[in-house]
Amino acid sequence: MSLQTFNSKRVIETDAGIPVPGEGNEATAAAMTFDGAQESALRTLKTLQHLASFFTLIVVLCFVMNAVVTSGLRRIKTSSFGAMNQVMEGKVNAQVVITGSSRALAHYDPRLLAAATGRTAFNLGRNGSQTDIQVAALKAYLAHNQKPEIVIHNLDAFTFVETREVYDPVAYTPYLYDRDLYDALWKINPNIWKSRDLPLYGYVVEDINFTWVPGLKGFFGWSPREDYFLGFNPRSKDWTEDFDRFKADRPNGVTFDIEPGGLEDLQELIRVCRQNGIQLILVYSPEYIEMQSLTRNRKEIFDWFHKFADQNGIPLWDYSHWKYAGSKEYFQNSQHLNATGAAVFSNDVANQLKEYLAAQSRSAEESRASVKPIEAVREKN
Amino acid sequence: MLFNSLNFAFFFPVVVAGFFLLTQRWRVHWLLVASCVFYMAFIPAYILILLVTILIDYFAGMYLERVQEKHKKLLLWVSIISTCTVLFIFKYFGFFTGSFVGVAGLFGWHLPQPAISIILPIGLSFHTFQSLSYVIEVYRGRQKAERNFVIYATYVMFFPQLVAGPIERPQNLLHQFQERHNFDYEGITNGLKRMAWGFFKKLVVADRLALYVNDVYSAPRGYNGLQLTVATVFFAYQIYCDFSGYSDIAIGAAQVMGFRLMENFKTPYYSLSVSEFWRRWHISLSTWFKDYLYVPIGGNRVSKSRHIINLLITFTVSGLWHGANWTYVIWGALNGVYLIVGFLTKGWRDRMFGAIGIGEDTLVRRAIMLSTTFLLTCIAWIVFRARNMSDAVYVFTHLATGWNFQSVATTQFLLRQFPAAIGGLLVLEIGQRLSSTLPISFMMSRMPLPARWALYAGFVMTVLMLGVYKQMQFIYFQF
Repeated sequence: MSLQTFNSKRVIETDAGIPVPGEGNEATAAAMTFDGAQESALRTLKTLQHLASFFTLIVVLCFVMNAVVTSGLRRIKTSSFGAMNQVMEGKVNAQVVITGSSRALAHYDPRLLAAATGRTAFNLGRNGSQTDIQVAALKAYLAHNQKPEIVIHNLDAFTFVETREVYDPVAYTPYLYDRDLYDALWKINPNIWKSRDLPLYGYVVEDINFTWVPGLKGFFGWSPREDYFLGFNPRSKDWTEDFDRFKADRPNGVTFDIEPGGLEDLQELIRVCRQNGIQLILVYSPEYIEMQSLTRNRKEIFDWFHKFADQNGIPLWDYSHWKYAGSKEYFQNSQHLNATGAAVFSNDVANQLKEYLAAQSRSAEESRASVKPIEAVREKN
Repeated sequence: MLFNSLNFAFFFPVVVAGFFLLTQRWRVHWLLVASCVFYMAFIPAYILILLVTILIDYFAGMYLERVQEKHKKLLLWVSIISTCTVLFIFKYFGFFTGSFVGVAGLFGWHLPQPAISIILPIGLSFHTFQSLSYVIEVYRGRQKAERNFVIYATYVMFFPQLVAGPIERPQNLLHQFQERHNFDYEGITNGLKRMAWGFFKKLVVADRLALYVNDVYSAPRGYNGLQLTVATVFFAYQIYCDFSGYSDIAIGAAQVMGFRLMENFKTPYYSLSVSEFWRRWHISLSTWFKDYLYVPIGGNRVSKSRHIINLLITFTVSGLWHGANWTYVIWGALNGVYLIVGFLTKGWRDRMFGAIGIGEDTLVRRAIMLSTTFLLTCIAWIVFRARNMSDAVYVFTHLATGWNFQSVATTQFLLRQFPAAIGGLLVLEIGQRLSSTLPISFMMSRMPLPARWALYAGFVMTVLMLGVYKQMQFIYFQF
């Protein structure tokens, strides 16, 4: 029944849209048409009520499901969500923190660093991240945990490329309440508010891998098999054909952009560390040797690394010429070491860190020793 | 605007509410505005292209009724050629887009030239064919010319079926814009149910399968025979669910407002022959080609050789309609060849089946025919989906080689996605089977409200949770 019926004085429609003119007894007809109009208005109202109730039910279900999934993911104790949960709950409080991309994530075993240096360590590497996201992750870490003594930031050939699209955005969805993380993601994708404010958006629209399933299971206490060790995620696969395909596709190599935003992001990382009194060490972890020659502007990128290190007095450890940089047995692809390679490299970097810390401590003692006689002379005088 | 977008989730309720709140007089205007907004959500300036075809056929329709008999044919051809020229320029000659930008610039529309030269106006082939059918029907005297420009423009631009059909006939749709459509509970809920089923097909089945198909068909040489085979079967279901899902959403959306659109699919993969397949697949296009091309050039009421030529012409043109690429042309021609071979060998096949004791209506014969038809259709889909003929030949020649069951997943489509994909296909098949054998809608309406709502809410949540929302365009939009 059309709503326009209410505006009509003489012609009322039936449900089939057939006009019923007032015939014969005008009063009876008027009464009939009034009853008909009332009845159809009630039916319209009932229809609207039904529709509104049903859609309210769906919206409520979406909110409930969203809350359950978010809560479930935040309860997970293992794997990637487990590691992130530890960070966001302030349960890490490590003395050495490793930041960077998937290369950081797969290359640095904090257990080996801790064993060599006697300091607790944690790997904060993020899959598919650039420096902007890495800085945000560090800020989120600092907001929830005690400040570390040292941050080892892993550099990549693509360090100065800004993030175009957030990789695996669902990994951040349960933590979008964190301002630093949210702001960093918002700069890359202004639509990130949808993942935070629209129920289920972050889990079903932004994700195709059913991350809501572990979320649901996590709500009931389930946690996946552990494959993150203090944030470190070793790659068990041997050499894949990825690099060979890449090489065939681009025999002339590739150029990684050096973007002003990317330069600012690294400067921001340095600023954050300095502001918090954290010793920063820049490390270029091993990269398969053939890939190095395929990076056409590698020298320019490294010039920038050295410039940042020199200007800010930061150590830069370059593992480009690592002893196994030409051995496929230690790599999964050109960018990532496999678990064997990561163990060897972690030992190497742990030993270098140990020596570095020892040297620092020696120089501190020496400077204290050189101060003492002066103080003694002063006291004498 | 895509049906599977957040924008449409806001757009549609607003349009429906406005439609029922307005008086009859303004409803068509409202639908026209809504259709313009819907279309302009893609690339706003492309509405001009649509306007050109609308104007051509609107005036052609009116003049066809006025001119003398001897001038009618000429006017019809002028209209057809003018309308087809628009399609021809934008679909087959990117070169002409520069001219359009220039002309549009004269009217103050400064268009970005590269976008025009690269992107085909969405759904151009669909509304061109709908326009043509109107002019031809007026010429044949089976449809009165529409004098009201708003009604005619709304007929061509009606947003549910604007970009991917069903390609309507004026006799079915045009008069509905003059009729009163009541706020009807049954119509609204049935329309919404139809839309939900369409969204299931598109989001849960088609777009999930697309992840696999896109990986494999974008670089087929990197995949083994098993993956190529799985991708080909997946594509058969992807394109069916993508397109029939769109049709379901379109039909459902129109039904919510009280409009009836024609059915476009009738479970085509249950066909027992290729000719039956074409009676059940994209019905609005098949019947269009039958009525306006196949029959006018003689159809089957000619000699055998001419009949064969007619079939080949019709299917080749149909292939060309799908895109300016040899793969589409060959796909169309291949289907024509299937039909010709089927038509020429029918007697021989009947005798062969008879000789080995397999009767006409036995289960075995039906199974053989059904699987043969599906196999032939899949082979044709390889040509349709491949980027070029070299890829198509590679896929076809490697389907049976190097099967490796350890390596079925692809980069985007991980093993954990198979249960969702296979589950989606099972629900699709069960749903189709049940709806063809049982009065599902009636049975559900007899259920107590809490049970019914639980069922509906469960279905909606399933679509929400298992769907892929990467804003993948409907495949047929590009045609």
